[in-house]
Amino acid sequence: MKMQKLAVSVLAIALLAGLAGCGPQQATGSTPPASTPSDQQPTSSQPAEPSQSQEALPVMGDVIQYDPNQPVNGGQDIDIEFWYWTGAANLFQALADQYTAIHPNVHITLVENPWDDYWTKLPLALQGKDGPAIFNVHNGQHDNLIGYLAPYDIPVDDLKAEFVGASGHVIDGKIYYTDYGLMTATMYYNVDMWAAAGLTDADIPKTWDEFREVAKKLTIRDDAGNLVQAGFSYNGGIQGDVLGMQYQYGQDLFTSDNKVTLNNDAMKSVIQRLKDMYLVDGVCDYNFGNNSGDNFGQGSVAMYLGWGFMTNVLAQNFPDTHFACFEIPAPTAEVPYAYHRYNGESTFGVNKNASAEQQAVAQDIIRFFLANDGIQKEFCLANAVFPAKASLQSDADLLAIPSISVLADHIDRYIWPGAMPSTVEDNVKIMLEDVFYNGKDLDAALADAEKAINDDLANLDFTSQESMYKYAGEALD
Amino acid sequence: MNRPARLKNPLRSRSEVILRGTVVCALVIFFVTFFVIPIFMVFGGSFFRWNPLKGQLNFLGLDNWKRVFTSDLFWRSMGNTVFFAAVATVFRVVLGLALASALYSRLIKHKSVYRVLYYLPTITPLVAVAFVWKFIFDPRIGLLDQLLNTNINWLFDSRYAMVAILILTIWKDFGYAVIILLGGMYSLPQDCYEAAEVDGAGAWQRFRRLTLPLLKPTILFIVITSLISYFQTYIPVMVLTQGGPGTQTYLASYLIYEEAFSKYNFGYASALSFVLFIFIALLTGLSFKVSGKSDDT
Repeated sequence: MKMQKLAVSVLAIALLAGLAGCGPQQATGSTPPASTPSDQQPTSSQPAEPSQSQEALPVMGDVIQYDPNQPVNGGQDIDIEFWYWTGAANLFQALADQYTAIHPNVHITLVENPWDDYWTKLPLALQGKDGPAIFNVHNGQHDNLIGYLAPYDIPVDDLKAEFVGASGHVIDGKIYYTDYGLMTATMYYNVDMWAAAGLTDADIPKTWDEFREVAKKLTIRDDAGNLVQAGFSYNGGIQGDVLGMQYQYGQDLFTSDNKVTLNNDAMKSVIQRLKDMYLVDGVCDYNFGNNSGDNFGQGSVAMYLGWGFMTNVLAQNFPDTHFACFEIPAPTAEVPYAYHRYNGESTFGVNKNASAEQQAVAQDIIRFFLANDGIQKEFCLANAVFPAKASLQSDADLLAIPSISVLADHIDRYIWPGAMPSTVEDNVKIMLEDVFYNGKDLDAALADAEKAINDDLANLDFTSQESMYKYAGEALD
Repeated sequence: MNRPARLKNPLRSRSEVILRGTVVCALVIFFVTFFVIPIFMVFGGSFFRWNPLKGQLNFLGLDNWKRVFTSDLFWRSMGNTVFFAAVATVFRVVLGLALASALYSRLIKHKSVYRVLYYLPTITPLVAVAFVWKFIFDPRIGLLDQLLNTNINWLFDSRYAMVAILILTIWKDFGYAVIILLGGMYSLPQDCYEAAEVDGAGAWQRFRRLTLPLLKPTILFIVITSLISYFQTYIPVMVLTQGGPGTQTYLASYLIYEEAFSKYNFGYASALSFVLFIFIALLTGLSFKVSGKSDDT
């Protein structure tokens, strides 16, 4: 038994030493109170916490700090469930392992659910008392989840000080979740095709006009005029990006009364340009594959506008494709109102219906995660997202990822519209297919989509966060 | 004079009564719990802004119903559904009948091999085969275009997207009709055929004058179950086209799925579901009526 305790303690110290080394600062001194009820102090008869029998462990974090020497739940055994959706088991296992190495009295049961099941099972589980104490959040499900979330017990100002975009998550002076990573679209290009076309780094386009010329050079047709290699393809759906590119013209996506606005000049310019690239420039056609991401990986498309997660998808599914990224072009060489929208990878939620003890442990895990640069870096690397935490934004390993590095110069010029309900993207998808494939008039398609979305939004509690954007004052009226 | 001992009816024994009562009760409870109560809940929910995931239940009156009947997308979906169900059912029956007749004939050898082959698609998981068909329909690497030497974008061309969904559905389901019809053919009275043959009836006449009329109950069974099933189809749409291009391949059940599990608008989805429920119930009733009349004649 003594040997087990010793082994656990040594493991905890080793892990924390490694983690603290990743942090910006190995702070000591005054520490924030741990999320443990004050009346539950550890006793010598309770399970050993490393801090009680060993040398004090270093405190993690700078503004948001985590003191691993503070016992959790008074050192008494406690069980909690941690739910997440399929696809990141190793990350959550690592988080749980690192946390329980410090607090062996906490027993975390990780529960994995497929994506679709997750969003029906989780809210129903949260309605009762047996739901998970802590769970993974996606801001697209904000409307269904917010009623079950307990606010973080970390001061909002501390979160704002360390995490980009935290201000956009403040609700009535409280934060229920924020972003640990920011994901947006970057232009992926095939390095070999780029070189074969005689292009160099100097040809990387900054404007859409330059981009169209490059796309033409990358397009290859056979003698009969059949497309062999597309210079640029958006087949299979570009709705997620169309919903970001109108910002380049200073056009917000939502009005001040939280209605969507699609039927405007900016959106028309964006869609017409996409259409012209196919029909006028001939850089691709609508029958040249149905999934531009896969087609890029398969080597039939030279450029593809993809979100950060595509970095890992390409690396895993198409390891022989040599690619790099450049920032999405803008209408002119000037820095636009915003290059694109971003969406955050969210931190975890705390179940307000869980017992007070479980909530306290969940809050402690949140603090452990937010103060811990090492584990956040793992999450950002795994999802290829730009770190929201300021201390990680110059991390060499993260900046080695092409889709992250190209954002570094202008990350403040990306806007978060808010937790958009699915109806927005769903209806824009329909609208684009009507325009691109069914030949529907653009004005009519935009008007129909705008009406359909606003009909749905009238039944939802959606609030645009565009007014929180740093450069909101530059938007068109 | 002693009265003869009354024979005990085994169906009225105490243990039999208890067993029957238990089984019937269990079935009633099952149907009430999983069919009757949900139907009433759906009907009740259609008058509310209802999202059980966040505990929302706000009374709306007839708003959801008004929206159903004024929605272009709903009527388009219903039109698509009627077309889809009619075509899929006709092909299922005709193809099933043709292949069952071929297998029933004396000319075909290794019949059990064909029966297995035809039935295999029916027992394969729909989602899995739908993903395989998605590759088959791909305009760049798809097998279908290569076989036909065409350049059709099956899933994104509004002229072919519904055809693609129908091809998958018919391929998946025709084997069921073959097996059921073949079973029906094997149970037909052979003496009628022998008599017809003696009277000089040819193969086509025997099929038309004997097989078809005698198989009518089986065919009606397939038609009714097919229509009910096809009015509830949404998985092929979800996997292949997501209702697109645009809304060209929206079916009623896919619209309901989208409203309920994508937009979490369970109230409106309930109103849509109830309309579909009434439609299917009327259709089933009509089919039974037609079937009953034909049996009388």
